[in-house]
Amino acid sequence: MNVEYVNPFIESFTTVMPQLGFQNVKKGKLSILNKEFVGNGVVIIVGIVGAVKGNVVYSLDLENAMKIASIMMMGMPISEFDEMPQSAISELTNMLTANAATAFSNIGIDIDISTPTLLHGKNISVTMSASKALSVEIVVDEIPFIVNIAFESWER
Amino acid sequence: MHGTKVVIVDDSFFSITVLKDILEENGLEVVGTAGTLEELKDVLAKTKPELVTMDMTLPGTDGMECTREVHKVDKTIKVIMVSSMMDDEIVEESRKNKIAAFLQKPVDAEELMKTIRKVLASDELYQTLQADYLEVFKQAQVDNFKRLTKVELSYKKEFKSEAEHESQGITVVVGIIGKFSGRVLFDFKQETAYSLVEKMLKKEPTDKEEVLAVLREFANIIAGNACSMLNRKNKAYGLRVAPPFGLYGENVFLAVPEFKTMNVIAETEFGELLMNVGFKRGDD
Repeated sequence: MNVEYVNPFIESFTTVMPQLGFQNVKKGKLSILNKEFVGNGVVIIVGIVGAVKGNVVYSLDLENAMKIASIMMMGMPISEFDEMPQSAISELTNMLTANAATAFSNIGIDIDISTPTLLHGKNISVTMSASKALSVEIVVDEIPFIVNIAFESWER
Repeated sequence: MHGTKVVIVDDSFFSITVLKDILEENGLEVVGTAGTLEELKDVLAKTKPELVTMDMTLPGTDGMECTREVHKVDKTIKVIMVSSMMDDEIVEESRKNKIAAFLQKPVDAEELMKTIRKVLASDELYQTLQADYLEVFKQAQVDNFKRLTKVELSYKKEFKSEAEHESQGITVVVGIIGKFSGRVLFDFKQETAYSLVEKMLKKEPTDKEEVLAVLREFANIIAGNACSMLNRKNKAYGLRVAPPFGLYGENVFLAVPEFKTMNVIAETEFGELLMNVGFKRGDD
């Protein structure tokens, strides 16, 4: 597994987040996930096809998802995770993955991405056919995002 | 394309005449012209254009504001910007305002027609996909369900998905990528999932992990088959499926995507099966 594949995502966070009113992007812990991913709060999954196939699973807790949606919507107060913040967070992960796709193509890996699927709930287990995933924490203004990158072709 | 209704927005009599001549010579129908926002509102209320050519500089308004007005009336109307000005800022603004294409004045007849053909073709292709996809996915599910379980499946009802969907137990999602991207989702009650998998494996599944693995493959086969069928109808779709993922949890809700999806409920001897599928217009 190529650990450097987290870099396009760090790059996309660094490019996208400041455009939406955030200041600081820091790379946190990096680990390898051997089992299913379990998230609490909000989980967004984006499918990938092309030179590599797989899924990217973003996760953050509900309170932070609302905080981020509020900042994206020019400080509009948000008390419930309804359609508006859901749409903002979906669009955010779409932008982040599209930017990462551009960064991948710059290193010769051409990929296309699907529309995001957003879910929320408790103890959400997500299983994929890729048996391993790279899991990286990306901290944006003290708000931790978990980004799991599960590419199938890594296993070969 | 023949007979496509067009409105020309421009404040120059000369430009209107040039555009009108090109469009009519090529069999399109110019149903109105407008030089101001008020005239545009008026003409939109009276005619139902499928296409609008839009000038950028207009008295008291501009092409962006007028485009938003057009899409307020009907967001499926295609707007082609035909303007003497063209810089990065205008191109970026055009993208934000969902302008379908951009041409610089003086406009070349051949280039204009080529652009219109391209813009309308994508729209027509999407309409065709919208008309076809549901039957194809239903057929793929019936066929493959039977092949995998030797059991018949019959459809009970179908309806547009309007609200968040609460997972009934286990949900499997497959992302679709191509000219238009979309997704298909299968939702099972836990008991339904286990008995369905038991039938497919011809033995009791060892654990939940195995159930999910089989259901992902089930979803993969149906989605893959349906997308191949659609690609055979028109290879311009170029649909491919992303690897499926399965999920379960407590009170898990799936948000409504920003495009129309349809729910189809099937009745089987294992219980009810829900399939939800939809595609997004490329330039939305």
